[in-house]
Amino acid sequence: MAVSVEKRPFTATSTQPGQPWSSYAGAIIRYTLLTLLALLAFSPFILSFLGTFKTNAELSAFPPTLLPKTWHLDNWVRVWDFRLPSVQGPVLPRWLFNSAWLAAANVTLRLFFCSLAAYAFARLRFPGRDLIFTIVIASMAFPAEISLIPGYVFYARINWINTYWPLIVPDLVVPFGIFMLTQFFRSIPRELEEAAHIDGASRFRTYWSIALPLSRPALLTLAIIQFQGSWNDFTKPLLFLQKPNLMTLTVGMNFFKSQYTNDLSAILVGAMFNAIPMLVIFFFFSKYYMEGASYSGLAGQ
Amino acid sequence: MATSASVAPHRERRAATLARREALTAYLFIAPYLLTAGIFTFGVLIYVFYTSFTNLTASFAVAQAKFVGFNNYIRAFQDSQFQIALGNVFWYFVVVTTIQTIGAIGLAVLLNAKLRGLQIYRTLLYAPSVASAVVLSLIFLWLYLRTGFINYVLGTNIAWLQDPRRILDAIYQPLGIKNVPDFLRGPSITWLAIMFLNIFSTIPTFMVMFLAALQDIPGHLYEAAALDGATGLRAFWSITLPLLRPVIALVVILGTIGTFLVFAQIAIMTQGGPLRTTLVPLYLIYQKTLGTGTQAEAGFGAAMAFILAFIIITITIIQRRYIESSTQQS
Repeated sequence: MAVSVEKRPFTATSTQPGQPWSSYAGAIIRYTLLTLLALLAFSPFILSFLGTFKTNAELSAFPPTLLPKTWHLDNWVRVWDFRLPSVQGPVLPRWLFNSAWLAAANVTLRLFFCSLAAYAFARLRFPGRDLIFTIVIASMAFPAEISLIPGYVFYARINWINTYWPLIVPDLVVPFGIFMLTQFFRSIPRELEEAAHIDGASRFRTYWSIALPLSRPALLTLAIIQFQGSWNDFTKPLLFLQKPNLMTLTVGMNFFKSQYTNDLSAILVGAMFNAIPMLVIFFFFSKYYMEGASYSGLAGQ
Repeated sequence: MATSASVAPHRERRAATLARREALTAYLFIAPYLLTAGIFTFGVLIYVFYTSFTNLTASFAVAQAKFVGFNNYIRAFQDSQFQIALGNVFWYFVVVTTIQTIGAIGLAVLLNAKLRGLQIYRTLLYAPSVASAVVLSLIFLWLYLRTGFINYVLGTNIAWLQDPRRILDAIYQPLGIKNVPDFLRGPSITWLAIMFLNIFSTIPTFMVMFLAALQDIPGHLYEAAALDGATGLRAFWSITLPLLRPVIALVVILGTIGTFLVFAQIAIMTQGGPLRTTLVPLYLIYQKTLGTGTQAEAGFGAAMAFILAFIIITITIIQRRYIESSTQQS
């Protein structure tokens, strides 16, 4: 299993053919199908982006228009300045800021604590290591959402409702991150670290200044997965952030939608504020996304 | 001899000290995991399990919860809402898992060729998986309007998110069959609309897993098969599919867990309506725990959560057994 872990993500870019497709006709059919499917995959985003420039009347008129009759750039301004009675100042920048700092904090903390634990599992010997690692793996297979919603009671008991603690502390060290980085650390040669260790460097130093810099691609992959998880999260902020001024963009937009169901242009603008940063990051780092997906494949096995 | 005998215990002691120090460092490194997992994963799980045997209710922060034994579990099995939710989620699991697995294999096969530019297509096709359930739900609220693009493209006039008609009635009604239980009447049109949304957003993730597996299949297998006259579909059936089996198992299991835990789309788009045809266990548990739109009964919610967990774990164990045993035969 360890061998395939090292190999799998990097062979994903190889161009070995699955089937012999020598004929031009085959290639043309393939390209045509893929182009149609790519358009289908993208159409909801394109349509709703164009929709953000339409009036509410045009958005609910039949037949729907592809391009706005007149371009209303002011929808974006209107949503940016939108105010709710219970919140001081415009809400959208606030929700955006809440989502952003929360994602940044979660990514940083999880990278640090996951890599620290993974280094111990990959490099250090201690009683109970294999047992604890098995527990880490096993806990990935358990559907965590099961205890998440009823667990609300627990967080209410310790007075963590309407604080950010339940969105940060329980997932400080995610099992998937430990698993992924342990596999990665095991794949890099020990010699460098051993040399440094003999020279008197502490374990933390060899971890920090040798193992971590060598693991940049794996760390980046994990960072992207965790950023996406935090930025897109809905259930936890819905449970724990009930005051509008504390909300993240995802629950904020759900809250907005429940108050102003017919303000379609505003809803679409809000959705774009959530989707665009994610799509931009994705197009810059798409390679790391694919590696992350193959790692989740391995984690399941 | 004499010198080495006096050195050995010294060395041993030194080695033991080093080993102890290494173990201590290691425990420090994993201490954050042990603490957070101990309290928030396993601790909360045990706490929730305990609450499932109590009548914990509305003002749970102060209320004295009484122990009620298995009452919550017995009640859950008799509760009509929970039965409806389980029936709904079962249809969702069957339809979504099947279509997304087949769709992901199809897309991966399309992308697995020695052609220019396929990397770009892979990136483009992956994009729906990056958007959050919230974004997709908000966008599709609009696309599914009676005056929206979906009706426009299909040439239909359906209120996709408010239509409780169950699709299998299309079979029963012409035959004059009446009084069919709701579950056997199939998913509602609204439920189908949400199924489509979920399939749309999960296919790309699984496509990438299949693609990685396809690219691991050695080309000489196909060359050998071609010599025996097996190309195209034959080669796909006799080589590709059997070799994909472990990944199929994984995708089916991940899909099963994901579909049984569907929540965000329901909370945003339908709140379980119309006529409870999109009510799912997790949304019901949410309502019962927080008391949104119903009486708060956290203990009862916890019991339902554990029944749901039991169902998910049982189904995935069966899937794993079944697919693994058929892998050994091949």
